[in-house]
Amino acid sequence: MNPITLIIIYFTILMGPVITMSSSNLLLMWVGLEMSLLAIIPLLANKKSPRSTEAATKYFLTQATASMIILLVIILNYKQSGMWTLQQQTNNMLLNMMLISLAMKLGLAPFHYWLPEVTQGIPLHIGLILLTWQKIAPLSILYQFYQLLNPTITTILAISSVFVGAWGGLNQTQTRKIMAYSSIAHMGWMTAILPYNPNLTLLNLTIYILLTVPMFITLMTNSATTINTLSLAWNKTPMILTMTSIILLSLGGLPPLTGFLPKWAIISELLKNNCSTLSTLMAIMALLSLFFYTRLIYSMSLTMFPTNNNSKMISHHHQNPKHNFILPTLTVLSTLTLPLSSQLIT
Amino acid sequence: MASIHKLLIGTYIHRNFLRPRAAVPPFVGNHFVDYSSSSLQKQVASANKVSQQGKTEEGLQGHDHKEVALDVPSPDRTPEVSFDKAIRDEAMEHFRRLKDEIVAHVRGPDGRPLHEVIMEQARVVWQFREKEDLDKWILTSDKTIGGRSEIFLKMSKNNRSALLYGTLSSEAPQDGESNQSGYCAMISRIPRGAFERKLSYDWSQFNTLYLRVRGDGRPWMVNIKQDTEFIQRKNQMYSYFMFTRGGPYWQEVKIPFSKFFFSNQGRIRDVQGPLILDKISSIGFTLSDKVDGPFFLEIDFIGVFTDPAHTEEFAYENSPDLNPRLFK
Repeated sequence: MNPITLIIIYFTILMGPVITMSSSNLLLMWVGLEMSLLAIIPLLANKKSPRSTEAATKYFLTQATASMIILLVIILNYKQSGMWTLQQQTNNMLLNMMLISLAMKLGLAPFHYWLPEVTQGIPLHIGLILLTWQKIAPLSILYQFYQLLNPTITTILAISSVFVGAWGGLNQTQTRKIMAYSSIAHMGWMTAILPYNPNLTLLNLTIYILLTVPMFITLMTNSATTINTLSLAWNKTPMILTMTSIILLSLGGLPPLTGFLPKWAIISELLKNNCSTLSTLMAIMALLSLFFYTRLIYSMSLTMFPTNNNSKMISHHHQNPKHNFILPTLTVLSTLTLPLSSQLIT
Repeated sequence: MASIHKLLIGTYIHRNFLRPRAAVPPFVGNHFVDYSSSSLQKQVASANKVSQQGKTEEGLQGHDHKEVALDVPSPDRTPEVSFDKAIRDEAMEHFRRLKDEIVAHVRGPDGRPLHEVIMEQARVVWQFREKEDLDKWILTSDKTIGGRSEIFLKMSKNNRSALLYGTLSSEAPQDGESNQSGYCAMISRIPRGAFERKLSYDWSQFNTLYLRVRGDGRPWMVNIKQDTEFIQRKNQMYSYFMFTRGGPYWQEVKIPFSKFFFSNQGRIRDVQGPLILDKISSIGFTLSDKVDGPFFLEIDFIGVFTDPAHTEEFAYENSPDLNPRLFK
């Protein structure tokens, strides 16, 4: 693709969520959503293969439907109240439609069916953008209007997302699908705490991005799209595999790693609000997520897939040329920031 | 019941009439045949022989027999058809399949534990040991468009392999438009799950296709189709050649997936990309070498395996730097 075109596309992807975050006008929020939606489609279909084109088509159909619903809510709200923002007097039907459309944008269950399929059909670096940066805009809208949203529907979306993310990730052999289901589960955790403490939602989003980015970088370094590919990387990039294992444990929420912080804070906040059943169910599902993360670690460290290169360590003549200088920093942040919990929460 | 049969015949003729020059989709045709054969078994006793002969000789030749039998219903016996029971049994069958799929998903990919799948190096996908194994394949030739080629599939004498045989004829059909013809093909059916949902094969852990065949020296085209939902996939496939040796010995053909090239309607596409192996819908064999005469291909099994020595990702270099004109 033309470098100038790429710059414009990436700039548009960058500015879309920024416009949405910095707006209080619903129409401008929608403009930001549309910018990020339309700008990423050329990147999705860049491989010029039927699979990537199909992934782009699925993404466009789903996101365009959600955008249509959001625009319908905006127009009906303006017709009803004459204002470009949601109010306390806004119709409950419009609020519910807004919530459901944003759930489609985020990939929350039961509107999640597009996310694993789209993630599977696109390159890893585009999947990274899809699962991290594209989540910011819908979540910022939810953050602005969390007081007006129906807590019952929000909780149902959260529980179903956590369940789908946990059960769907089991028995997956594709790393991109595993990351997609991980995203669904984490979105469920964010949505669960939104009615009670939206600041924890932002904290969870920040830590989720902090965990997902190094995970994708390690997958890109090894060109790992299946579990078997990871099992062949033990003698090429042993340090990266070690970091990958620790990052996976952190994604699973294992103490004393960084990923434990949002889960700890969310469960304690839910218990303060007398939601013991909800927190118990979510904690149980977190164990399922940890289970399939651990399976990844098992395949990359405790098994040795047959290969013609059985030497103990690759010599320096065959070093991996894909150096990534931000990976050590991200690894430290994604594993060792739990002692900062008091400052991050307050 | 006779009126229902006539309606079905009329529907099929109507479909065939609307597309006289295009090949009828094999799955649709076979689906119709399967339905009528089940009805025949309940109507007349002699229909069993006709249906058995039809299964022995796949393709339109078998279909002709069924069409003849449909026109002569027996007046002595009244049909015993219970649609409610049939619908209920079909629904129960689909729910049972759904339960099996859920249990298999909990157990692991393809119903096996994950550690077995991870350490798997070879897998037999299709094998021919029973007559039911032949039902997983669809035969087609240019007879559907008016040509003279024929293709049949049957089990070998010792029931250890399948024998694909027939006659290839490059004589063009006398329809005033076609000036070339002559092909025979065998395509695997798309796997179906509960409620006729499309399933697919996940071969992402393997890198080589393995065929154990015994042929007569003719070259074949091995075609692999991906499972896509929106993109027109009818004519898009990944192809590679298979050259058989004549003689009494079995031939083990190993084709790396990196060698398959992308083609559309038989034409090789300029912009190539590797075959994505996590959603494979079917595999097929096509004979179209413009050599008239009989042919046979005996197939023991078709499988996939991992060749650790083969590290090639894609055999055909294709990038903006090498071919800038293709990417403008």
